[in-house]
Amino acid sequence: MDTAVSPLLSLQDLRKSYGAIEAARGVSFDIFPNEVVAMVGDNGAGKSTIVKMLSGVVKPDGGQLFWQGKSFHPSGPDAVRDAGIETMFQDLALVNDVDAPGNLFMGQEPMKRWLGFLPILDRKKMRLETERLLDQIKIKLQSVDRPVRLMSGGQRQAIAIARILLSAKAQLMIMDEPTAALGIQEQSKVLNVIRNLHAQGLSILVISHNLEHVFSIANRIVVVQGGRIAASVATDEVSQQDVVQLIMGGRLQ
Amino acid sequence: MMSLNSKANDSGLAKQKGSKASLLDKINPLIIVIVFLYVGITLLSDRFLDIGNQMNILRQVAVYLIIALGMTFVIASRGIDLSVGSSLGLCAMVLGTLIEAGTPVAIAMVVVVGLGTLIGAFNGLVITRFRINPLIVTLGMLVALRGATHFFMGGSIIRMPESLRFIGQGFIGFVPVPAIIALVATAFAYWLFFHTRFGRHTVSIGSNEDACQVLGIHVNRHKVAVYAFQGACVGLAAAIIVGRLNAASPSLGNLYELHIIAAVVLGGTALYGGVGTIGGTLLGILTIGILENGMVLIGADFHLQRVLLGFLLIFAVAYQEHRRRVIDTRAFSRIREAEE
Repeated sequence: MDTAVSPLLSLQDLRKSYGAIEAARGVSFDIFPNEVVAMVGDNGAGKSTIVKMLSGVVKPDGGQLFWQGKSFHPSGPDAVRDAGIETMFQDLALVNDVDAPGNLFMGQEPMKRWLGFLPILDRKKMRLETERLLDQIKIKLQSVDRPVRLMSGGQRQAIAIARILLSAKAQLMIMDEPTAALGIQEQSKVLNVIRNLHAQGLSILVISHNLEHVFSIANRIVVVQGGRIAASVATDEVSQQDVVQLIMGGRLQ
Repeated sequence: MMSLNSKANDSGLAKQKGSKASLLDKINPLIIVIVFLYVGITLLSDRFLDIGNQMNILRQVAVYLIIALGMTFVIASRGIDLSVGSSLGLCAMVLGTLIEAGTPVAIAMVVVVGLGTLIGAFNGLVITRFRINPLIVTLGMLVALRGATHFFMGGSIIRMPESLRFIGQGFIGFVPVPAIIALVATAFAYWLFFHTRFGRHTVSIGSNEDACQVLGIHVNRHKVAVYAFQGACVGLAAAIIVGRLNAASPSLGNLYELHIIAAVVLGGTALYGGVGTIGGTLLGILTIGILENGMVLIGADFHLQRVLLGFLLIFAVAYQEHRRRVIDTRAFSRIREAEE
């Protein structure tokens, strides 16, 4: 990475405790423009807490965030979205009783005027846009207008991924385990989605347990361990074994 | 494709029923119930079909319906409001007192809708700020508001002057004014529920509150608004009932919450949130209104009516739960067939 470029997002000494449990004890790392950063670490290392702090779901107890060089104190998830950070959550954050377009646009539904005056939800636009986005990631839904509880794990995951593609102003995508519930074929489709986003100039922070995926898409790997960043390494300078070593608490020789 | 972990092992059965079943799924079964009630009561009472009696049913259900509209939002958001009956009593007495003191009707009505809204907002604030189960908060309010009404307003009935009569007893053509107000309110609630972000988010919060939170919906603020809307409905209903009875009594609205919750759930709004229907609520209220009217015409005992209502509430929840499961199972098996 060119060090003259200033980071898109900078985390400095972020801390978060839940009661006696210190989930994040001073997390610092940067994400640069047009960079794919993979965050890896064992279960309970603190990855999810970091994602939640970055997406505005929980407020850090201490430390600072800088977004595009400016100090950033989001009031909540909507403020983070507005700033240009989209998040795909590990639990997908889907509303089971609502259909795919409704889930895609949840919280930012487009409106139109019926008969020129009465504001109503623009269902047609939501539907067309949903079909377009799902087409883009090449995952087919039999029909989009069913509640998502009636959809398979892969389809649900596709909806959650399509949702972060919706925003035109997003500059950073955070994806928490985007391939977890998918079959082999769909996994490669999702990896392609990430490559495409990268090619479009976006930055992506991807959390994954699958090191093969990590090595095929990431420019840099950030290893989380015990609520801290244990290492930040360029992907082409390390081997998978090295990363496994780091995750388990070892050091690079 | 992914394997679907469905319980649909009766796909053969689903095939047999085919598209007929899916058409039936879309029709609210209450329409059939209402048709049966009409036929049955007409056979038992020759007065039932009189236009006068039919309009009477509309006038009687108007108050229930307006409150039930708010309740549809509350229940769809996975809440409940048991305090509507007591709140109606308090609003009615405040309205009576204001009008007796010479306040113009329009102003008194605005005040009372405002009072209802405040009571609702208070419920919502307590539920969201202190994270107390809505069942407990509104149960407490059910008792407290009734007590407050008797304590501050006295136990006596306030007779109304003529001024409020039009709202409760007037007619436009041959349609009672309360029915017109209730139908306009229903159209408004339909729009709000089905065509706006407010309605969409209400259902979504009922379905998955955590997801709504992380997607940037202000869940707590929204819930307070839902309870406040319920309160506004109660305030409007209070004006109608005082106009209809020509009097305000501190015990008005007693047990209304049961009728209303029964009707909303009977109509198809899910008690555990996430699913709601304004059309279903209208049908649910009509079912209960027709049933009550019919029982009066037939001369059934008042206490027997309550036995029936109680069981109806239990049946409504059981039936809607069952119906949703059947529809889901069938949908699952259809997906699986399509994917195989």
